[in-house]
Amino acid sequence: MKKISYVKRSIITAVSIALCVVLPMAFHSIPNAGSIFSPMHIPVLLCGLICGWQFGLLSGLAGPLLSSLITGMPPMAFLPSMMIELAVYGLVCGLMMNIVHTKKVYADLYISLVVSLIVGRVIAGVARALIFSAGSYSIAAWATSYFVTSFPGIVIQLVIIPTIVFALMKARLIPERYPAKA
Amino acid sequence: MRTLPTGQFIPGSSLLHKLDARIKIICFIILIAAVIGASSILGYSLVLVTVSSIILLSQLPISYALGSIRKIWLFFLVIFMMNGLFNNSGGTLVAWWIFHISIGGIKQGFSVVINVILIIILGNLLTLTTSPTQVTSALESLIKPLKLIGIPTEDIAMIISVSIQFIPTLMEESETIKMAQITRGARFESKKLSERARSYIPLIIPIFISAFRRADELSLAMEARGYRNAKNRTKKKKKPIEGQDYIALTICASICIVQFILLR
Repeated sequence: MKKISYVKRSIITAVSIALCVVLPMAFHSIPNAGSIFSPMHIPVLLCGLICGWQFGLLSGLAGPLLSSLITGMPPMAFLPSMMIELAVYGLVCGLMMNIVHTKKVYADLYISLVVSLIVGRVIAGVARALIFSAGSYSIAAWATSYFVTSFPGIVIQLVIIPTIVFALMKARLIPERYPAKA
Repeated sequence: MRTLPTGQFIPGSSLLHKLDARIKIICFIILIAAVIGASSILGYSLVLVTVSSIILLSQLPISYALGSIRKIWLFFLVIFMMNGLFNNSGGTLVAWWIFHISIGGIKQGFSVVINVILIIILGNLLTLTTSPTQVTSALESLIKPLKLIGIPTEDIAMIISVSIQFIPTLMEESETIKMAQITRGARFESKKLSERARSYIPLIIPIFISAFRRADELSLAMEARGYRNAKNRTKKKKKPIEGQDYIALTICASICIVQFILLR
């Protein structure tokens, strides 16, 4: 598989961070779009899938931080837990794409996405229970906020992200994961 | 004209605006510690007086500092009730089934809510008086020690500054794509929530393709000009830390020390 250059991965990460700011603003006309559709998660997951775990980790940390500084969402009090959640998404996504090689792009993408979404939610829940909302966070609250409320977002991510990856490969903006042999 | 949306930052000439961004971020972190460390009425009074003084120094209306707090009133209510109804620490007032209303629980609920409100106000004051460019420049300086453990801080700073440059471009692009989709029948302003949500899906993919195309062009241009990484880059302007910055840092540190040593 042809590797993307370090400079291109850096710029794709910069674009992903910028999209973490722009996408939530584009969704602003839908009430509670942030908690339901999780628009900030899509660029971070894509960055991890395409550029690797280091860049995915950076986009997960910097995306919500920049969005909070520029648009005020998420508010500063919720920023640390969101940074941890998204950083884990980007990190695990990138690691899984390095580990998983099923020779089928869809399988690689879905395995990486599902594992990163589960691990990210578990670690974010643990962080909230132990650090950010210590003493006032239950498993019911975790399940409600991370799975029930954000179920439309999970569905959108699992449908849209592989579609975007394929569109980018078709447009030759990123190399094919398993190029066809000549 | 393409400008960065600085919906948070309000230009001004107050003392708070003139402080160095690095010092403001450090003071912000110190004051968060002071807020979390508050455990008595005297402690909370100290942080409330501190936050009120900072609002006065910023010369901004109090409604700006309170910002998004009104929008998340439901969250505060839930947090207060979770503590008030289920916390069984100290002096039970009413107990029924799984619900325990106690003095300790009510105090804990108030404490958590006040802490979150104060941290949000401090965050708002930081972002209202510091432009995003100043903040990223300050963060670049503050994360420099991470170089010692092999983290490429210059590359991180370059990535963040490029992302700030991209924001107005991508916003304009998303507006253009939105208009194009409206002409194709997308209903972003529909009264039906499901219809509005569905109409955003054909917006996302073109935005990503366009964004990645720009990333591809920029990276090719940078590589063609010999750019490999951001090592050994220098800055044209270097603002030194001044006396007023040291005074602000000393005051914040003193408040934190008083909070933790004298008032616990």
